[in-house]
Amino acid sequence: MMGKIKVEDVSRKGDEPLVDISSEDGMTLPCPLGQPLSIKPLTDEQATRLEHSLDGISALGIPKPKSKAEEDELVQGFLSGLRKLLSQNDNWTFWQPLVYSLESCVRCQTCSDACPIYLSSGKQEIYRPTYRGELLRRIINTYLKRGGRFSSKLRGQEIDLNWSTVARLAESSYRCTLCRRCAQWCPMGVDNALISREIRKLFSQELGIAPKELHDFGTIQHLRKGSSTGMTPLAFRDNVEFMEEEIEEVIGRRIEIPIDKEGADTLLLHNAGEFLSWPENIEAFAIIFDALGIDWTLSSDLGGYDSVNYGVWYDDVQLARIAVRHAEVAKHLKVQKIFVGECGHAHKALLVLADRLLTGDLNIPRESAIPLLEDAVCNGKIKVDPSRNDFPVTLHDPCNLVRLTGIVEPQRRILRKICPQFREMEPHGVDNYCCGGGSGFAIMSSRNFPDWKMNIAGRMKLAQILETFQGVGDPETRKYVCAPCSNCKGQIRDLLSYYGASEKYNVFYGGLAELIANAMVDLKRPFIEWEWH
Amino acid sequence: MGGMVLVLFYGSILFFLIASGVRIAKYVSAPLHLRWELYRGSSVYELIDWSQKSPRHLGERLCGVILDVLLLREFYHRNRGFWYFLFLFHLGLYLLFVWHLWLFFTAVALPFDATGDGWLAFGHIATALSLIGGSGILVKRIVDPELKVYYPRIQYLKWFLILLILAGGFLAVVFHFDSDLPQLLRYVNTQLTFQDLEHKLHPALGPASHVFFVSFWLLYLPFSHVLRIFFRYYQHFRWDDVPNRRGSAIEQKVKEHLNRPVGWSAPHIKSGKSWWEVIGETEDL
Repeated sequence: MMGKIKVEDVSRKGDEPLVDISSEDGMTLPCPLGQPLSIKPLTDEQATRLEHSLDGISALGIPKPKSKAEEDELVQGFLSGLRKLLSQNDNWTFWQPLVYSLESCVRCQTCSDACPIYLSSGKQEIYRPTYRGELLRRIINTYLKRGGRFSSKLRGQEIDLNWSTVARLAESSYRCTLCRRCAQWCPMGVDNALISREIRKLFSQELGIAPKELHDFGTIQHLRKGSSTGMTPLAFRDNVEFMEEEIEEVIGRRIEIPIDKEGADTLLLHNAGEFLSWPENIEAFAIIFDALGIDWTLSSDLGGYDSVNYGVWYDDVQLARIAVRHAEVAKHLKVQKIFVGECGHAHKALLVLADRLLTGDLNIPRESAIPLLEDAVCNGKIKVDPSRNDFPVTLHDPCNLVRLTGIVEPQRRILRKICPQFREMEPHGVDNYCCGGGSGFAIMSSRNFPDWKMNIAGRMKLAQILETFQGVGDPETRKYVCAPCSNCKGQIRDLLSYYGASEKYNVFYGGLAELIANAMVDLKRPFIEWEWH
Repeated sequence: MGGMVLVLFYGSILFFLIASGVRIAKYVSAPLHLRWELYRGSSVYELIDWSQKSPRHLGERLCGVILDVLLLREFYHRNRGFWYFLFLFHLGLYLLFVWHLWLFFTAVALPFDATGDGWLAFGHIATALSLIGGSGILVKRIVDPELKVYYPRIQYLKWFLILLILAGGFLAVVFHFDSDLPQLLRYVNTQLTFQDLEHKLHPALGPASHVFFVSFWLLYLPFSHVLRIFFRYYQHFRWDDVPNRRGSAIEQKVKEHLNRPVGWSAPHIKSGKSWWEVIGETEDL
């Protein structure tokens, strides 16, 4: 068994992971799912080739260096990026909150108890929210400040900056979902999640190191092909046509889903994952918007049919490029407003972050579609019959929607109105736990990272879901986790499947619009089909 | 020795003012950053057509800030075990601040021969609260394994210094001034009005040691969390919520930022061009 990890251990050379994520450290899930942690090691070939010395996991797939020159190149590149990160000119986007967070931690560790990853891992030191910040702070103090080596030694905070330090730091930044529960908890306003993000940014913007799922197949593909899913405009149109047919089957009449309708009042942006995995969410929106008589449109323009913006999680330049692309699509269509569908980080990206990237005629009003749904349901603009949703329902709060954008109540008011058996998870609202798929984890599935994601990052959320439904009806009773966010849905799907909870407990998951459509009296048959996908 | 204390004391005040000014200037001149708020509850985004609604009033924000600072509300809610001593310590400090204001004001502006013992008790209670709180924090920092994590060694010295200042002040009042408030006020009066330079150069041990330790604290203060807590609210980075409207000062600043050169070196970024140019370059990715 390894001893207690110290920050300076990060510089230890060799392949041996700093921690052994052993089975007895995991928090216990409610019976009968008290499964121990079970994380596959890398294959021999992967272990030989790729860096994995933080915890045996490889999220980034950083190749090991072949020479001393390669080692030095990484270290020097990292230092160059670190200087830029701390420069007001190079990092105007986040300099203030980053520097504040680096300078203001009082080491009260209040944040530690707020972090689901730290808790679910059995309090592994390398997952402590303050660990990365402390490491970065020591590197800055030792290598970038005048007389730093001497003063760091005096304070007992010296650190050796070598290839292993840098590589472990890079991997470490992808052991945080950026849910920012730690920041919400911090009495000093320190944002350790932002520090994780800024470390990610340094590696991406200076060294070109980022998970392929976020960069090559994420933002780059989004800008090139039109969607991070790889869906082309042609495929998008095919999907919409298919959905129109499905709607016709359900409601008995054809609804035309408008595409590229110039001059429409609003452009609706969905996460493209919905088109491929959960088309019923888009169909539900179409049914509701049709019932409300809204003048709306989708866009088939490159990037216009995918609200995701993975740049939020790792790269300011990519964030800005996609935000501007979304705004340009709306401008081209001459719409008055953009509505964001059920995608948490798209809310954060377009409503909050992009606010200081978009100027002039690109600064088009951008809103969440959820208050609109609330208005429709709670003010009687569509007729609903709550008895159609008479099954246990709970609400997962997507971090980006709730804690990071402040949309907390509308979805609850809707559920209270249309779901007689609605029950809250504890904790919920702005104190919620992340699903474990945040910050891109939901789509990151290389090597043994998915195992880590299921066993550590998502464990708290699964426990929370099962606790909420514990003792509710018999195992035959269908239960519904409402997750108004595509990434969260993907992660919850994977969690329920990985732990077999869907079969054992009859737990399903889906979006908010589907529950509304299911309750609409105008629909002749139930909208929710309880099919697993 | 007395001269050294004098130089150190006035030097430390000067240093405190200059260093604080430099740090304030550094933060005030920092570029407007992207919005990265957290929300403690419902935001304006819960409203349809939110962009046409007014943001929260300054008074509402200020009220929240004052309550946070005075009561340490966030520690109370999130880390109750630590809050008890922290609150005692800070409450004592706030009361001591009031006490010193009264002391300086009364010493130069009011007749003080008839001053009652109430203010003396006030000062003693404030000092006791800070001493109890500060000692509790120091002990917790030493014995609680969680509070020891990453806590720099030098911070223990800071707490030791603060306790010395508090205890020194108390002892000076009780022993050097015999708990006689008019005597203390007369002393402060001569110090503030520079009436007795000889006394300044050869101060008594009690007040001199208190002033000596306070001077060190003043040297540290610009780099402490006291100044940073102010910027936490100044920066608005947690609860900013001020939208960028067309034609606004914020929009003007954003435009200026987008004209800055991008200095990053990764292959997907063309270094040297402006942000706006780089954002538009998506063809060759």
